[in-house]
Amino acid sequence: MGGSIAITGLRTFVGRRLAERLTLRQPAPRVLGLDRHRPHHFAGGNRFQRVDLTQPTADSRLAEIFEKERVEVVVHAAFRRDPAPDLGYDHELETIGSLHVMHACAAAKVRRLVLASSTMLYGPRPTNPNFLGEDHPLRGHPGAHNVENRREAEALLADWAVRHPDTEVTVLRPCWIMGPTCWDHVVRYFARPVVPTLLGHDPLLQFVHEEDCVRAFERAALEPHPGVFNVVGRGVLPLSTILRLAGKRSLPLPASLLYRLRYYPSQGQTGDPPDGFYDYLRYLWVADGERGWREFGEPLYSTKEAWIAFVSSRRMRRYR
Amino acid sequence: MSEPPEPGASSDREASLAEVHHALADLRREIEVRFGSQAQAGGVAGDWMRLFDELRRRLSTLGMVERSGEVDEFGMDEVVLRRARPLLDFLLERYWRVDLQGLGNLPVGGGCLLVANRSGILPYDGLMISHAVAGWHPTGMRPRFLVADWLITLPFAQPYLARLGGVRACRENAQRLLRGGNWVVAFPEGQQGAAKVFRERYRLKRFGRGGAIRVALETGVPLVPVGVVGAEEAHPVLFKLGAPARALGLPFLPVTPTFPWLGPLGLLPLPSKWVIRFGEPLGIDRLVPDDARDELLVSRLTEELRGAIQKLVDDGLHARPSIWG
Repeated sequence: MGGSIAITGLRTFVGRRLAERLTLRQPAPRVLGLDRHRPHHFAGGNRFQRVDLTQPTADSRLAEIFEKERVEVVVHAAFRRDPAPDLGYDHELETIGSLHVMHACAAAKVRRLVLASSTMLYGPRPTNPNFLGEDHPLRGHPGAHNVENRREAEALLADWAVRHPDTEVTVLRPCWIMGPTCWDHVVRYFARPVVPTLLGHDPLLQFVHEEDCVRAFERAALEPHPGVFNVVGRGVLPLSTILRLAGKRSLPLPASLLYRLRYYPSQGQTGDPPDGFYDYLRYLWVADGERGWREFGEPLYSTKEAWIAFVSSRRMRRYR
Repeated sequence: MSEPPEPGASSDREASLAEVHHALADLRREIEVRFGSQAQAGGVAGDWMRLFDELRRRLSTLGMVERSGEVDEFGMDEVVLRRARPLLDFLLERYWRVDLQGLGNLPVGGGCLLVANRSGILPYDGLMISHAVAGWHPTGMRPRFLVADWLITLPFAQPYLARLGGVRACRENAQRLLRGGNWVVAFPEGQQGAAKVFRERYRLKRFGRGGAIRVALETGVPLVPVGVVGAEEAHPVLFKLGAPARALGLPFLPVTPTFPWLGPLGLLPLPSKWVIRFGEPLGIDRLVPDDARDELLVSRLTEELRGAIQKLVDDGLHARPSIWG
């Protein structure tokens, strides 16, 4: 491949791990990292450009960089995995930032665009079927602003893809990522010694191991895989079993109480009401990974193995 | 984004396990990078990778065999079922003294859709059909019973229903289960059926919008009508209350001879005598999946199915000497 692979959001989990993985390949493709700040650790031989996606002129700056570096593939991963209280900034970064990336891709005639989405976009609903296919409508959650931003970004991308049929668009929707190095607000929730849960609810959850997730992104960046794919591990586990496997204590609280707490036992200030996170531990939002497995290969880790890999890497395991 | 916290105090054994785990992961990655394309295709490098994966898997699940904690993809838990078995057996054989008739009408292989009349608020009928078939049918297949939305997401009920084999009633779930060769118990009357008051008992309500027929046609499984007699007297609903139910988030609040007068005791079902009759499979084996789009055919078949179940129920009612059998 002559052109290079640009990764927006180099400091996010997906961006960082994907850049590392691509650099380890032989022959290594040319990788261009883009982020607001230079990351502390950055694999040698890769180039880096500072771009702030919230700037109004980010699209023309991106287009310039893409032209100059002969970018053929763009992996857009500049999404927060940690909700922040600044809702306005997050919207600028995630929704408008995605729009900037799309405009730049169109201007620079980029061959392939890969979007890092999430199965959280389906939204936890009591009316969800047990397995959500890729064609299921994205209903999100009004209480989770990051999910709403990304849902909007995905809708914009779907429109954009129709208008730019020359660009292959791949949307990857991983579920909650577990593994030794992934760290975000979901992992922080599960890493607590005492985990608050909803009294009387025990939903089925699924995880994907970070390696399986990054591998799917690597293949999507290197080969043509147009379409939307859920990236999930095989199998599901109830929340109570997940906590028991790690020897954790759960603190069951009634929903009516938990949802009213001002400083709820969650991840500190996120700018979201508690239901924006706890509804994901209340209702079903398990995705059907069949299409993704067929496209990117059988995952190495099941939900349970991904969880155990995370637990043993944090040395939280109590049962031997 | 904050950095991962320092690992806390832990035993040396766990630490060394984690180190081996990481070393193996590094080795594996090294191999994958060196022989990237070959490894995908197979060959020696592929074998090595599989060996590493297997080793790593074994290592990370070391000593957790007894705590397997596995559930199937719809959340049914064999361990919970095994533990609940004595109670389910007691309900089936002693409490309701369930009489099973026509088990021979059930197929021996492949998926199957059982359609029954709904009765009572709690899904005792689904649970009993499921347990009876699992215990008495030669294949030992445990049918999954479909449960209405409001019940499957009800706090406290939800975890147990899912573990005992309950699945939210919707088309996607039924299709997935039937395609996977499972048996499914459906109650097309839905909430209307559950909310029947005592004087309307055993008069089947409208059968939804023909979903059961469509699913059976699309998946090509046999459709067996099931008549349950006795379950409707287990919780005789005298009348329904609207306003207090809405405050509690329930579709309705039933008033029975015992509930709410006796408090939680009133939730206990009465020990009526039950008969579960399995009828002849509906003659849909010559139809093709495309027929599911023929609205008139679907509604005709739905009516036929409703008639078949009504007949099974009526026969059962005539045959029994009294409610208590």
